[in-house]
Amino acid sequence: MRFFDYIRLALKNLTRQKMRTTLTIIAITVGSLSLILMASLMISIRQSLMDQFRNLGAFNLVTVVKDPNSVDNNNLMGTGGSSSEGKMISDATLAAVKNIDHVVAATPILGISADTMKLAGQDKKTWASVVAFEPDTSVFEIPIVAGRNVTNADLDKIVVGSRFLDDFKYRGREKELIGQKVVFNLKNGGGGGSGVDWGTPPAQPPANADDSWYKAQSNKGIEIEAEIVGVADNGTVGDGQNYINIAWARRLNTQVVWEWDKEAQQKADQEKQAAQQALNNSGQKSNISNSSDQSNNVSYMRLVKHDNFADQGYTSVVLKVDDTSNIKSVAAEVTKLSYGAITAEAMLNQINQIMTMVGIVLAAIGGISLFVAAIGIINTMVMATFERIREIGVMRACGATRATIRRLFTFEAALLGFWGGIFGLIVSFLIIRIAKILVAKYATNTNIPIENIGGFPWWLVAGVIVFTTLIGLLSGMGPAIKAAKLNPVDALRYE
Amino acid sequence: MIELKNVSKVYELGGEKIFALDHVNLQVEKGEFIAIMGPSGSGKSTLANVIGGLDVPDEGEVLADGVDIVKMSDSVLSNYRNKKIGFIFQSFNLQPTYTALENVMIPLLFAGVSLSERKKRALECLKSVGLEDRVSHRPGELSGGQRQRVCIARALANNPEMIIADEPTGNLDSKKGAEIIDLLKQLNKEAGITLIVITHDVSVAREAKKILNIKDGKIC
Repeated sequence: MRFFDYIRLALKNLTRQKMRTTLTIIAITVGSLSLILMASLMISIRQSLMDQFRNLGAFNLVTVVKDPNSVDNNNLMGTGGSSSEGKMISDATLAAVKNIDHVVAATPILGISADTMKLAGQDKKTWASVVAFEPDTSVFEIPIVAGRNVTNADLDKIVVGSRFLDDFKYRGREKELIGQKVVFNLKNGGGGGSGVDWGTPPAQPPANADDSWYKAQSNKGIEIEAEIVGVADNGTVGDGQNYINIAWARRLNTQVVWEWDKEAQQKADQEKQAAQQALNNSGQKSNISNSSDQSNNVSYMRLVKHDNFADQGYTSVVLKVDDTSNIKSVAAEVTKLSYGAITAEAMLNQINQIMTMVGIVLAAIGGISLFVAAIGIINTMVMATFERIREIGVMRACGATRATIRRLFTFEAALLGFWGGIFGLIVSFLIIRIAKILVAKYATNTNIPIENIGGFPWWLVAGVIVFTTLIGLLSGMGPAIKAAKLNPVDALRYE
Repeated sequence: MIELKNVSKVYELGGEKIFALDHVNLQVEKGEFIAIMGPSGSGKSTLANVIGGLDVPDEGEVLADGVDIVKMSDSVLSNYRNKKIGFIFQSFNLQPTYTALENVMIPLLFAGVSLSERKKRALECLKSVGLEDRVSHRPGELSGGQRQRVCIARALANNPEMIIADEPTGNLDSKKGAEIIDLLKQLNKEAGITLIVITHDVSVAREAKKILNIKDGKIC
């Protein structure tokens, strides 16, 4: 019997019991659907992360962080870990790690402790995540989608990231952001009479300043304005952060505080005492009060700069390595200096571990539904062989071999699986399309690039069809072998 | 030519051995018309099935043109049935969902004939039994006599050397039955097809050149 005749005959036989065939196919469709959606989701999330890593040039980066124990849960810029634990990263550290073999460039990273962020002239605020680096080192390839990157000279300029884009709904019209101003609120320094080394210096506390005045000042925080020069689509891997240059960040990290000028006060006191003495000597009564009564005399306050950097150092240093194959050795060198080393590979491994766990759970669910579907196929084929025992007898009398009968029934079962796979693909394709529309409409701050989700690589399509067909084939094998073993004489006599 | 040598077929029923065929010796010459008669359960169907290669004896040899079909593999034996034998059944055994044409095409399908060739050949066979105007009717839309003609056409599809008809007139009235026998006789005479007819009907058996009476698995 010819190959196409098997298909033709199998199709013909399946359409005999339309309802039963349809129900069986639906079962396989549901089974394959869960597998496809799962696989498609996993693949696209993984793919999009990989793309982001690649876009950031992350596969050639090693991030030096203070605390070796905070490597696992950190991000690419090392701003996700603890900033107080571990060894300080100073300019000396920067110089040391720059000298490690295969390191071609390095930039220090400084996290800015900003609370909120908004577009100038608007009320809506978003959580600010501002990271500073040295743009001219070209360690990062910031995925700029509009405008330009910040330069080393760009004080008070900012590149906003994808989180900002999503929060303020500027996706698709990124260009409109260029030239606008953002205002972020620094928690740093807060409190009355203190500020940062940028913009207007903090107001001197008035002579009658009390606790409530300090509290009110503190709640106001310090507002810093920056001009948007670029927009970066830095997604999940880049953590949606906003970028400024490190020179400006150093100044923003420098506190400016009104402090008592003890020297000046002492000097004044001495002068006063001398004057008093002179007056006493001359026998005149003094009308100058003692300095202890003048503790609120604001003229003895002066503005002092505190460079936080001196005690805290950089948040991290990102090293660019000449080749991906040298990442490990560079990371090992960094570890020797008792710093933590974050690599994209380690991050990917972690992501992969989570993905694998989720994948196993989802695969188990999909597997169970496919198993049930397989039982459905077996049931259908057992029924079909029972109904067609006499027909099998006639076919055998007409010259069908046992193998022909076996193949015929196996083909029917495989065809059920094949159609189940096809419909599973079609339905999941539609579901993903609908989901994409809904997600785009309702979820703005997903931080997951939805446009990448639901990819159907050719091997997934082929794999699903082959897999479900194989399930059909295997499920049909038992009943088919039984049908082939029937004695033709008994089969013809079967009522 | 088919030769049965010492052929036995045994069934066990409640621990008791029953001989469906009891050391039967028989020669069927090419172009013969043989009627097999006997009471029910005498073994006449078993004899016909053994000759047609549908059943394999427990003992003895069945030589088809000198080759023992007992020793044939399933595929060789199936091919033998496909090419050399045409079966006709009392209850027709037509595929109810297939048209007359499709039913006749079944043996051609297993012979590996192409679809267009199958259609052509099946049409010829239906023409030769006088059903060229019932080609696309399903069995349910045909009379008993017509159904048996479709069955004959199906048996003829691969130009067999032998037709084995098990009670071909059993489900037909005497007039229709006579027509079927006439048709078979004509095929025997004109095409030289060997004809083995199992029947209860003496008037049918009388048409044959040779009558075999079977009782308890033995030819008497």
